Amino acid sequence: MSAATVAPSTPLPTASKVPFGRLVLVEWRKMTDTRAGRVMLMITGGLIALVAGIILLVIALSDMSGLPASTWMSALSFPVSLLVPVLAIMIVTQEWGQRTHMVTFTLEPSRLKVVLAKLLAVFVLGVVTMAIAVGIGAIGTAAGAAIAGTEANWNVSGETLAWSLATQILYLLMGFGFGMLLLSTPAALVVYYGYTLILEASVFSALYFIFDWAQNLFPWISMQVAMMPFVAGDEMRAAGVNVDDGALGIARLITSVALWVGLPLVLGTIRVLRSELK
Amino acid sequence: MIKVEGLTRVYGTFTAVDDVSFTAEAGKVTGFLGPNGAGKSTTMRIMVGLTNPTRGRATINGSLYADLPNPGRHVGVLLDASAQHDGRTGREVLTIAATTMGLPKSRVDEMLELVSLTPSEAKRRIKNYSLGMKQRLGIAHALIGDPKVLILDEPANGLDPAGIRWMRGLLKEYADRGGTVLLSSHLLHEVEQIADELILIGNGRIVAEGTKDTILAGQGGAGQSLVTALDNEALTVALKAKGYSVEPIGTGMRVSAAPAEVGRAALEANVVLTDLRDGGAGLEDIFLQLTAETQRENTAQIHAEGASA
Repeated sequence: MSAATVAPSTPLPTASKVPFGRLVLVEWRKMTDTRAGRVMLMITGGLIALVAGIILLVIALSDMSGLPASTWMSALSFPVSLLVPVLAIMIVTQEWGQRTHMVTFTLEPSRLKVVLAKLLAVFVLGVVTMAIAVGIGAIGTAAGAAIAGTEANWNVSGETLAWSLATQILYLLMGFGFGMLLLSTPAALVVYYGYTLILEASVFSALYFIFDWAQNLFPWISMQVAMMPFVAGDEMRAAGVNVDDGALGIARLITSVALWVGLPLVLGTIRVLRSELK
Repeated sequence: MIKVEGLTRVYGTFTAVDDVSFTAEAGKVTGFLGPNGAGKSTTMRIMVGLTNPTRGRATINGSLYADLPNPGRHVGVLLDASAQHDGRTGREVLTIAATTMGLPKSRVDEMLELVSLTPSEAKRRIKNYSLGMKQRLGIAHALIGDPKVLILDEPANGLDPAGIRWMRGLLKEYADRGGTVLLSSHLLHEVEQIADELILIGNGRIVAEGTKDTILAGQGGAGQSLVTALDNEALTVALKAKGYSVEPIGTGMRVSAAPAEVGRAALEANVVLTDLRDGGAGLEDIFLQLTAETQRENTAQIHAEGASA
């Protein structure tokens, strides 16, 4: 039926262990080569462009001065933090949903290596998407100032930049952990957005400002509250809020991160390593 | 070479694979045959490390699958052709495999050509593939690393007759080059034409193994013939005189004697034969008998139908 034969036309390279870098490359490719992955990245890119466009339009049409870099950064990192975690979740769950795990883990039997490769791919994704958001934010800051005819306000310190990158990556890792723990795209999405959008964004913040007990408890169990002193310490101080960014603040941060990122990652990894694949 | 030693897998109270041992040798196609749920797939999953055995082990060319460096270069695995991402194209699936194994991209085109997937088909998403196309892609995926061993679970599923013939030729060629092929099937005639060695499994246990002939002989395929003569009555009398049982079937008869004996009786009785062939219990009958306990259907009935067919 076919003239081709099984034997390779040119000798193939000798078989040696699959290098870790190649696994990361493959996982990166698998994260971005499906329609779901591409659409997510395109929507994220589109939202960043849309937000930037609207801000510039408003600056151009009104008499306001250009916005400071910090406003640009928080506006543009929002679409990133909203949608990119889907990719971090799906890099794991789609393998189970589409049963490609059978292929993945026969080509690399060390499941831990595959998990680490996926983790690194997610990390790179966080850095790349934040770099794009920050880059466009910088362009927006300069362009907005030029349109308004004012001096650009570069009020983002290296520390702030590092914290917002760390935040983004922590949330990606949280999604990744939930993905491994639940091994199901819908379940992991529900839990992830249930936590970030409902618990943290609404429930925790509402209770936090009302009840005293919440102010004592939430810094320990809410990543967002625990990170506040570090991400927005200056604003909090300016608003007259007591800021704990010393040892207590760090202890709270570590506890909340261990609870929402560390625990799902560890339990999820154990589940992936132990589960029977069929 | 694949060596399976005392492999057992227990799920709660259910033993899916029960002390299975066999060897699939290099240069041969070994058929792994059994009804649905007999333990074929579980055994194959254990071989490639996707399922942990409760007891026993499987080695490939002497080492455990997990210890093989870049296993895709040693073992071509196709466990389920449908286990590919619906949203990826056929070419993308092979490209991912080639990248993982560190193969040149030209190998992807070579494999697509080998399994007769056209460039436009390779650009389609798997979602739009027929089962036969998925199966071809799966075979390409298994062969892309030029492995020495192939483990294929139901590879003929969904292939059309021409496709099955093509695959048969492909696997023969592969084994002739010194490769080891283990392929499973629940369809006997799919396997009996291609396999040098057969392993029959039922209820998680091996019920028979060897070449087709040794299995037939081992099960005492005591002579049975189907015969038609110009004068059936005369032949019946002659055969009964020799002590064989004769029952009419269609235009002829089934006789409890080997074809040579029937021919001799016809010669002595001066009866002209128009048809004489081996009607002995075929491999299929033996297969059904041996795996009777695990059959979901009423085997006795199937057997009867098989005999009168």
